[in-house]
Amino acid sequence: MISFTTWDVVRNLLLSLPWTLALSFIAFLGGGLVGLLLLVLRLARPRIFERPVAAYVQVFQGTPLLMQLFLVYFGLALAGVETSPMAAAVLCFTFYASAYLTETWRGCVESIPKGQWEASACLALTFTQQLRYVIFPQALRLSVPPTVGLVVQIIKNTSLASVVGFVELTRTGQMIANVTFQPFVVYGLVALFYFALCFPCSMLGSWLEKRMRLQH
Amino acid sequence: MHTSEESVPLVDIRGLHKRFGSVEVLKGVNLQVARSEVICIIGKSGSGKSTLLRCINGLESFNQGQITVGGQSVQTADPDSLRELRKKVGMIFQQFNLFPSMSAGENVMLAPRLVHRRSREECRGLAQRLLDRVGLGDKFDAAPHQLSGGQQQRVAIARALAMDPEVLLCDEMTSALDPELVGEVLQVIEQLARDGATLIIVTHEMAFARKVSDRVIFMHNGRVHEMGPPDEIFGAPRTPELRSFLSLPAEGG
Repeated sequence: MISFTTWDVVRNLLLSLPWTLALSFIAFLGGGLVGLLLLVLRLARPRIFERPVAAYVQVFQGTPLLMQLFLVYFGLALAGVETSPMAAAVLCFTFYASAYLTETWRGCVESIPKGQWEASACLALTFTQQLRYVIFPQALRLSVPPTVGLVVQIIKNTSLASVVGFVELTRTGQMIANVTFQPFVVYGLVALFYFALCFPCSMLGSWLEKRMRLQH
Repeated sequence: MHTSEESVPLVDIRGLHKRFGSVEVLKGVNLQVARSEVICIIGKSGSGKSTLLRCINGLESFNQGQITVGGQSVQTADPDSLRELRKKVGMIFQQFNLFPSMSAGENVMLAPRLVHRRSREECRGLAQRLLDRVGLGDKFDAAPHQLSGGQQQRVAIARALAMDPEVLLCDEMTSALDPELVGEVLQVIEQLARDGATLIIVTHEMAFARKVSDRVIFMHNGRVHEMGPPDEIFGAPRTPELRSFLSLPAEGG
């Protein structure tokens, strides 16, 4: 029987770390872009997109991410789309992140005083100019803390992508635990790895928050 | 004799009705404002004076009637037409509404840059001149929160002037200010009036209204209740409602 040193375990986990990072990054980027688009649609007048976007958000907030992953993975297969665990996970996390981000950012936009919309409208700015030059710069400041919170959630939730066979940190941990019979050590290390990813994000978040408050 | 240009009112409001739900706040308002005229609208809160003002630049939609500014009718359902209208109509708010993410100067530069597509240098020069004009030439780079309320309101006036509006609407522009800051804002407006600007001012400052207006409108219950030159409105009010509003004895006093 082959024996595994702790270094072997750590090394293998380290090798899987880029996949967790990549999925988190793509989810945030894709989710951010889709979320921004949804936000603009939701704010635009006439308000034809308000309800569909709200429904979209409710669907993703009201169902477990695990089910969303299953449904996207098996749903794509059912629809005859040849898919990989990677593709299904990326797609699903983009949807999921976009729903949470768009809802969070909408809250930030709605907390901007109505007078800001009125004053910019009275200066004959177009809707997009209002958003870009007046509303979003203010909403951005407010959005930093909740957005960082969501990023941390996304990073941790990428562990669920292991159920569709996407080999990231958690999946790698499972495989190692299965052969080393040391689940406590292995999962302990996995948890430490997640912490090492999330903690700097939170720190960056509070630093940004402080810096933006100083500017204001 | 008036030329045809002069006889056409710059702002023409006819038969204006506005309801909020079941409450009718404007019950058929008629008002014509000539170019370079200074109008003060006075009245109790809830009399519809702010709503009337907000209808003129389409911030509020209305249910019935018609408003034209410089020959263009106010169509609140048409964003393009509203933007055209708002190039001609400036507005000053009670809460100043400066954009907090920009400096004073950038607040003033924004609209000429985006709407008139003028160059950054040109806008910077314009903003500097306008800030000089409201006595804040040295505050170009100040953030709004570093300025006093009176200074913020003066920046807001400069910002509105940057679009070179044909008419300026002022909605209780001094109501949010500490008493000692009211004067500096009113002085700027008085100077604008002397320079020939067309002003429609909703105000609670009676002394100011008396001094600056060509005509005073007293609104009551959603209607223009009494209208006339300031000396008449303040010196010889005809209706009991206006007498009571001005805290004068009911008759003869």
